Amino acid sequence: MKINPEECIGCDLCVPVCSVGAIYMEEDVAKVNEDECTECNACYRSEICPVDAFVSTPASEMPWPRVIRAVLSNPRVESPDTRVPGRGTEEVKTNEVSGRVKPGFAGLAVELGRPGVGTRMYDVQKVTMALAEMGAMFEPENPVTVWMTDKKTGKLRDDILNEKSLSAIVECGFPIGKFKAAIERLREVTKELNTVCSVVSAVKVAPDGSLATDPIYKELGITPRPNSKNNVGLGRPLFKFEEVK
Amino acid sequence: MTHTLHRQGSRESLSRDYPLVAVMAHGFNEKGGGPKLGRFLEICWKHGPVNLGDMKQGSIFTYDAEQIYKNVSDTTIVECVFDDLSKVEAVLRDLKKEDLGVPVVVSGLIDKVDECCKKVGLQIHTVAQSLGVWGKTELLPSKDILEITTMCGHAMVAANLVEKMIEDIKKGKTTPEKAAEKLAKPCECGIFNPTRAAELLAAAAAK
Repeated sequence: MKINPEECIGCDLCVPVCSVGAIYMEEDVAKVNEDECTECNACYRSEICPVDAFVSTPASEMPWPRVIRAVLSNPRVESPDTRVPGRGTEEVKTNEVSGRVKPGFAGLAVELGRPGVGTRMYDVQKVTMALAEMGAMFEPENPVTVWMTDKKTGKLRDDILNEKSLSAIVECGFPIGKFKAAIERLREVTKELNTVCSVVSAVKVAPDGSLATDPIYKELGITPRPNSKNNVGLGRPLFKFEEVK
Repeated sequence: MTHTLHRQGSRESLSRDYPLVAVMAHGFNEKGGGPKLGRFLEICWKHGPVNLGDMKQGSIFTYDAEQIYKNVSDTTIVECVFDDLSKVEAVLRDLKKEDLGVPVVVSGLIDKVDECCKKVGLQIHTVAQSLGVWGKTELLPSKDILEITTMCGHAMVAANLVEKMIEDIKKGKTTPEKAAEKLAKPCECGIFNPTRAAELLAAAAAK
């Protein structure tokens, strides 16, 4: 994002609109710190500027690697790799049809930078590499997975490591028997981050209504939030689930 | 992913906050799904959500609801939010009867959503649970601000803007309702709950 200095009238209305504080005032005009800007376009879409001084570059015209900021930060930009708008995948949203999260298996998503702090990709790489050590099965349709040079080590492309986004989701899964160790490793590596992350697990509900992760969280002293995201099973055709060995 | 999860707040406040999301499954039932997703939104709209939107078009704070639900594409994600669980129950009853085959997610207090599903003969199939915020949490704004900003999972609602709205309410420059509408606008998906935001803004401004 840029602000045309010839158009800006210095009203400073746009300054609080930026989630990562990348807009600032200097010599009575608003400027964008392009290194901090995540290309989320929220300022442009807010229509806050009374003189239309924002200059927005479409994601299709952004050079590599800057374009990854828009893919991960602007919900209107569809990832060319996953074809899903937003920064992740369908995950549990379509599980009754896709069978992505199977019985005996726990999905794990670590969204770095959320809520509202933002992340550099080098912090994302710390998490991908730690979870790879634990045998993470990375979601192939997630953009972060696509940018790995080695899915066995979780190493990301070097040319994206300093890019900044509002958030980036590391999405993977583990057989339930390996899940506790993965969460413990995640706890350790998040202490090394220069940002925050919101952590999610996903499981298929057992026929008796229980969740396979409940005993693990009890053992680890983790209390999930009371508000969850619940697929209510209305999609068709239904996937035929089999146990993951 | 999970843009309707991680909403923060007390149980009492979250009991008036139920986002619904629908998306077709890529590679399974996506083809021809646009009109079905549109019908999903139309059903939701009939039951009075406080917000509604399409990730590729925007929310009712920018466009008319009818314009949104008549122009839904196969590959988008559509959303709405209710502040009353009985309305969610009515939507699920209609969806079950109509059998659109559209995967639907209801976010919110799990015990309440479970109860609601059982009343209409549905069972929760898969659950995503928030384990909270980890890492350098000292970078986060205050709890009052987070309860509002986390209602847009894509972080389009800036903490600084929420703070400004609270200050403007304190100075009498705006009302909690008008401020909540202003905050709802940047959330393109339509999952920001403006009625809950107005309650939270009023409470924060009264401190």
